[in-house]
Amino acid sequence: MSRMPRASGYFRTDYAQDLALMQTRLERVSVALFALGLLIFPFLASPFQLDLACQVFLAAVGSLSLMLLTGYAGQVSLGHAGLLAAGAFTAGILFREVSAPFWITLPAAAVVGALLGVVFGLPSLRLRGLYLAVSTLALHFVVVYLGGEYETKRGFSTGIVIDPPVLFGFSLVDGRAWYFVLLAAAAVTLLVSLNLLRSRTGRAWQAIRAHETVAEALGIGIAGYKLLAFVISSAITAVAGALFAYYRGFVSVEAFSLFLTIQYVAMIIIGGMGSLLGALLGAVFVTLFPYWIESTLFLLPGAQRYAGEVFAVNYAAFGLVMILFLVFEPLGLTGIWRRIQSYFLLWPFRHRGSR
Amino acid sequence: MQLAVNIIVLAAIYAMIACGYVLIYRVSRVLNLAHGELMMLGAYMLLATASLFAATPWLAVLAAVGLSLLVGVLVYFLLMRRMTGEMVLAAVLATVALGILLRGVVVLVWSAQQQYPAQALSVSNPPIALPGGARISTFAAILVFTTAVTYAALFLFLRFGRWGVRMRAAGQSPLLAAQRGINLHAIYALAWSLSTLTGSLAGMLIALDSGLTGTMVIIGLKAFPAALVGGLDSLAGALVGALIVAAAEVLLIHYVDPLLSDVVPFLVLIAMLVVRPWGLFGTREELDRV
Amino acid sequence: MQTAPLLAVDKLEVVYHRAITAVQGITLAAEHDRIVALLGTNGAGKTTTLRAISGFLGLDDARVTEGSVAYKGERIENRLPHEITRRGIVLVPERDKVFPNLSVAENLAAPVSRGSIAERRRREALVYQFFPRLGDLRNRLGGLLSGGERQMLALGSALVCAPELLLVDELSLGLAPVVVEDLLQRLVDIRRELNLTVILVEQSAAFALAIADHAYVMENGRIVLDGSAERLRDHADIQEFYLGQVGGARRSYRDVKQYRRSRRWYG
Repeated sequence: MSRMPRASGYFRTDYAQDLALMQTRLERVSVALFALGLLIFPFLASPFQLDLACQVFLAAVGSLSLMLLTGYAGQVSLGHAGLLAAGAFTAGILFREVSAPFWITLPAAAVVGALLGVVFGLPSLRLRGLYLAVSTLALHFVVVYLGGEYETKRGFSTGIVIDPPVLFGFSLVDGRAWYFVLLAAAAVTLLVSLNLLRSRTGRAWQAIRAHETVAEALGIGIAGYKLLAFVISSAITAVAGALFAYYRGFVSVEAFSLFLTIQYVAMIIIGGMGSLLGALLGAVFVTLFPYWIESTLFLLPGAQRYAGEVFAVNYAAFGLVMILFLVFEPLGLTGIWRRIQSYFLLWPFRHRGSR
Repeated sequence: MQLAVNIIVLAAIYAMIACGYVLIYRVSRVLNLAHGELMMLGAYMLLATASLFAATPWLAVLAAVGLSLLVGVLVYFLLMRRMTGEMVLAAVLATVALGILLRGVVVLVWSAQQQYPAQALSVSNPPIALPGGARISTFAAILVFTTAVTYAALFLFLRFGRWGVRMRAAGQSPLLAAQRGINLHAIYALAWSLSTLTGSLAGMLIALDSGLTGTMVIIGLKAFPAALVGGLDSLAGALVGALIVAAAEVLLIHYVDPLLSDVVPFLVLIAMLVVRPWGLFGTREELDRV
Repeated sequence: MQTAPLLAVDKLEVVYHRAITAVQGITLAAEHDRIVALLGTNGAGKTTTLRAISGFLGLDDARVTEGSVAYKGERIENRLPHEITRRGIVLVPERDKVFPNLSVAENLAAPVSRGSIAERRRREALVYQFFPRLGDLRNRLGGLLSGGERQMLALGSALVCAPELLLVDELSLGLAPVVVEDLLQRLVDIRRELNLTVILVEQSAAFALAIADHAYVMENGRIVLDGSAERLRDHADIQEFYLGQVGGARRSYRDVKQYRRSRRWYG
């Protein structure tokens, strides 16, 4: 947890202190202020901004799960959109076919996600790197095909409409209510991830990512942990998909394209691999990016003729930014952040350690 | 009989695209997931040159071909060269990002409408009657022919050409190749330009045959399982893989369910990954760095 | 007779991963038309030195941090590999020395030669002359050759590049002594015929000292002993620790390893 550079004079004197999530007073204060800000925000924001925040929280859940799988356990997955689709379709199908309520569909989505996680994870026992990515990609297409089959065979060619979820008798339509629900979802996911990573499972994952053969030689059952990574990550992703379905009130195959997977992969790369903070930063960046592009676009002269093709501008800009990060800053935003931190902490020195 | 013709045409399409994947993978272990978009770019370039050389279709095609060679070299020197030394996965993601960038740029320059290069070049595409009551369109026939010629040329070049031997050498052991004076950047640039050339040719011919739409990128992606089934570093494998995937797709569409069209190649891919990940003719390997 | 050495390494320092100093300030020289041996055990820094000379450090995140490598007076450290090969320095590596899926003939066709086409043809013919066995194996795949044949092919493909300085890394590794002796003899013939300069890195001091003119002994990244091959063959410490000839009386451990260690007062 404490990979951040720290000024000298900071000591931990017992295990409880070492295990604590927030260790310095500065950390505690900043987290508290941030949490306060998050809680106050919905009462000050416009509906548009509320929607943006909700999208960011939704993205964060998916981004954290992908970071666990790829950034920590080292299992490359290009099938993320397929898992989101699975969760969304589970919610949609259960709602349409048996009118299942929210508190059944969500766990059902998690279960479906977990089962699919086993399927997506089986290739990882034999394949690595590129070939594993390709197998998850193929499975994504299979899932999307199945969803499409359901849509056409059951006559929902334009997609399945879902009623807003009912929680404790309240129907969830209000933007502010959604904000708090999704904030809770993201926070829970973050806490679960943090604790997973600090547990034996998390350490096993990081060992597998660093050097699989050595991990195996050390007695870590890599097959089990790889599958576990897929199962947990997919379950969380499916829940994110189900939440996404309820939030939009609508499920359709078109939303779950390869581009969606790439957006999530971009989140963990731009955010910075191997860091939960990176997952969050990436989620914020990639979700808000199209809106930034649109607003800057209309500031430029002569932009009017591109107004009709905003999505193409988004595509181009997104591809360009992703390339820039891959080429110039492979450590992502977290890398930039840590460099800034190091600069201030080590000043007036330039580097730590000597030759 | 018509089924057989359909299989051959689809196999030719997949094979023409697949050799592009194989060329780059064999030489640099990178999977170029922007190949579909580069293919589409080739077709759009034909559209552009068609407006310049409307009177002489051959010149338009030649100009577009030349441009595609240039694009391949540019892609290598501006982007892929900077990814050497990084993980292969990072390079692959760079190609994905490039593909997305190209998709956006293409729509911005040419709009998202369906285009018809054949009309722009004022060439027609009449069906040809074949024995057994089957029919094949002119450009589909030209495509099959072009695929055969391309593969023959590539085989000869790689087998007997001095730089072909050097390309194979660089693919087997880049370090040793550099130590023997082979300029790896030149080799990689050559691989990228050849790959873009074949992809663009495929894109142009498909567009001339059935029009230019966004679905061309999907065709590009579907050809990738053909390359992998045969073995990502084997040209012969790409041919065989294309036949297998095309046969599976045409037959399953005809006898089972037309909706399967987009997913069949990936089902074949999964089957092959389960049984023999490195494909029918590929070499077993497990590399992680470019 | 030229007095300036063909290759001059001066106080070279090589650092891996910005943390591990593998070569700590070594100075050596290779005179024209000489065979220079670089001896030492595993991890002494010999291969790193060869890599620094041939330009292949960057791949392992290593850099020349101090000192210089001068070839014909021109500094070549930290240059790109194919630039160095073009200047006439060719490396025969320890592993991956041939292209496994190319035939012997293709292995000899692949390298880029410095000279003209006629010169290249002459060289290829010469390779078959020096290694007649390769002539019988023209169509055999490189990966299917025996150890000795593979080493011959590796040397041959290096010669096709028309080098002036040949760097050979661990020639004897994994080969039967008879085969090694044969190879070394051919190397001497080649050197004479083509006016080559050779730097030979070897763990097996016996083989290397048999054909070398001059030798350096490395330990832990430093050169601890250097001199002509005859002097080293007669040196008591070399005999004991590298040639395995234990004899003579040792009185105390202070008599052991009386190396002249080059001291760095500034580091």
